[in-house]
Amino acid sequence: MSTHDLNEDGAVKHRHRQEGPQKHVIAFIFSIILTLIAFAAVAAGGVNTAFTVILLLVMAILQVLVQLGYWMHMKDKGHMIPILFMAGGFFVAGLAIIAALYWMWW
Amino acid sequence: MAHAHSVKRYKGLMDWITTVDHKKIAVLYLLAGGFFFGIGGIEALLIRVQLAKPMNDFVTAQQFNELITMHGTTMIFLGVMPVIFALMNAVIPLQIGARDVAFPFLNSLGFWTFLFGGLLLNLSWVMGGAPDAGWTSYTPLSSSQFSATHGVDFYTIGLQIAGLGTLIGGINFLATIITMRAPGMSFMRMPMFTWTTFVTSAMILFAFPAITVGLVLLTFDRILGANFFNVELGGNPVLWQHIFWIFGHPEVYILILPAFGVISEVVSTFSRKRLFGYSSMVFATILIAFLGFMVWAHHMFTTGMGPIANALFSIATMLIAVPTGIKIFNWLFTMWGGQITFTTANLFASGFIPTFVMGGVTGVMLASAPADYQYHDTYFVVAHFHYVIVGGLVLGLFAGLHYWWPKMFGRVLSERLGKWEFWTFIIGFHMTFFVQHFLGLIGMQRRVFTYLPNQGFDLMNLISTIGAFLMGVGTLIFLANIILSFREKKGVAGDVWEDGRTLEWAIPSPPPEYNFKQIPLVRGIDAFWKEKMAGHQEMTPAEPVGPIHMPSPTILPFLMSVGLFIAGLGFMFTNDDFGNSLLNFMFNKYIVVAIGLGMTFLCMLLRSLYDDHGWHIEEEELKDGGVQA
Repeated sequence: MSTHDLNEDGAVKHRHRQEGPQKHVIAFIFSIILTLIAFAAVAAGGVNTAFTVILLLVMAILQVLVQLGYWMHMKDKGHMIPILFMAGGFFVAGLAIIAALYWMWW
Repeated sequence: MAHAHSVKRYKGLMDWITTVDHKKIAVLYLLAGGFFFGIGGIEALLIRVQLAKPMNDFVTAQQFNELITMHGTTMIFLGVMPVIFALMNAVIPLQIGARDVAFPFLNSLGFWTFLFGGLLLNLSWVMGGAPDAGWTSYTPLSSSQFSATHGVDFYTIGLQIAGLGTLIGGINFLATIITMRAPGMSFMRMPMFTWTTFVTSAMILFAFPAITVGLVLLTFDRILGANFFNVELGGNPVLWQHIFWIFGHPEVYILILPAFGVISEVVSTFSRKRLFGYSSMVFATILIAFLGFMVWAHHMFTTGMGPIANALFSIATMLIAVPTGIKIFNWLFTMWGGQITFTTANLFASGFIPTFVMGGVTGVMLASAPADYQYHDTYFVVAHFHYVIVGGLVLGLFAGLHYWWPKMFGRVLSERLGKWEFWTFIIGFHMTFFVQHFLGLIGMQRRVFTYLPNQGFDLMNLISTIGAFLMGVGTLIFLANIILSFREKKGVAGDVWEDGRTLEWAIPSPPPEYNFKQIPLVRGIDAFWKEKMAGHQEMTPAEPVGPIHMPSPTILPFLMSVGLFIAGLGFMFTNDDFGNSLLNFMFNKYIVVAIGLGMTFLCMLLRSLYDDHGWHIEEEELKDGGVQA
């Protein structure tokens, strides 16, 4: 526990710099809007299916980025190691899935 | 600061079951690993007795299949992995100047899940037959159609539980090394063993989910009637091979990288020189890990993936020889011009280098896809992987155990017996496995329980068997050495080898419960050596003396693992008819599973509801000599 300051309970103090609530409010509204668009696209029903699927995927990817960046603090300083490990995980898993599927079914 | 609450201290067996101290967990890992290592070793000897002469009927074909399966599975998952974790637990917090691992509770949980998974797997011997589909458990051989006993169920569920422990351990060491290094210890000042542990843990994090998925799919196929690997219903058995080796190949680097770390520490300490090419060693370690994830299909050259896949995986595999070569040369250059002392640890390390090179060279030979069509499933492959796993990893573990034994137990192992160990073991090793290269080349297949006389196999198999017993003798001498060492008085110098370079040698042997009275300040690579060379008697402390916060002992991890064990056992017998209505009800209605999982979840709930803030060791209680030379 050397590199951390401990408070009375022995828990690690929160070290994130306080940065007003505005950004979180914006991120929250953005998350809600993304979700609403996804629901609306399905509920509307009139649009063709392929378009809806693609739209949903795009919304999902944006949602993941917002979640990781704002709520998991990935955009903040000092998060290089989580980013590195997540990228590593995506790389290994992606490579394995694509290569194994490619050589088994195509 | 007052105690957070009254301190619970247990004694005797309860102390060991409830401990969250990384040093005690290291001992537990060592005991359990040694136990399974012994079982795996006995299985190996039985295999060699069966193969000592042609047309032998020492064991039946079925027993032979069970023996080879359990030998491989036990040695890899339950023998060497825990001994690696024993060394990591014993050494890593000390090397980085920390008082414990990042998550002491998880550390304990990791050990107990591993142990109960291993016990479950080995229960198969007395509960209707061990797994018999090889340690790779290829489908369709391992499907319920062709493996009708519960053997493979013990394999899938036992390994699932044990693998959980390994994954937990890996994550724990990642968090520990990232967050708990002493002030001044940048990544590029970490000792080499810490580096290899870090990279190994990252590999565990990425590789173990693959086997977890594979084992779940196989369990579903076998117990719940799913068809992931069943061709008739649209499944694909090649999927298992991919999943297994996407895990399996990184796994062998997970095994060997810690050994590389041990060798780096031992060679540089006993050459009284800084490790040659430290940064290239770090680079090579990371490169091996990176490449290790894209070569899995070299185990599947004969599966029929086609020439492009085979060529790609051939080249990727051969590339790994480059960073490995960097490492070999760095060790040689570390020894070059050094003041070498051949302690037992250094003997094992020096024996490791040429032996591992031999295993590496046959590895490159096997990497060539066209040649592999000849080598595949012969004793050449058996010789190759025993050269890298036994001649590499196990020699490395022996070196590490001899090197850190005084630090772990405060007692030195006998050097005289140590030399006996080394020579019997390494001569026995080469006798056992060197001839197997040639057995393979002249056509002896692996996993076949006997052979006809007069094919040129007879003499070499006999030599191999004699060698195996010689290795057994070496291991027994090691055991005797351990037992004799416990008759010595406890308490050796902190810097017992006198040339200690890293932080663990700056504290007493064995270290006090809190490791460092004051966390040291690190001013360079080989922090302790640097201070000694600057004429200092001790490390510069990075903090004033103060109360030390300690985690509380807890029995929850043990109970959680018992719960998983019960649930695993219950799930396995879901479809059995016991001829007894109560037992049928208990198992077929998932009552046993519910009891086991309920126990685990209840423990998790308790852990979540009751905050345990640990306790403090007050300044007056601290012994002198926290950090000194």
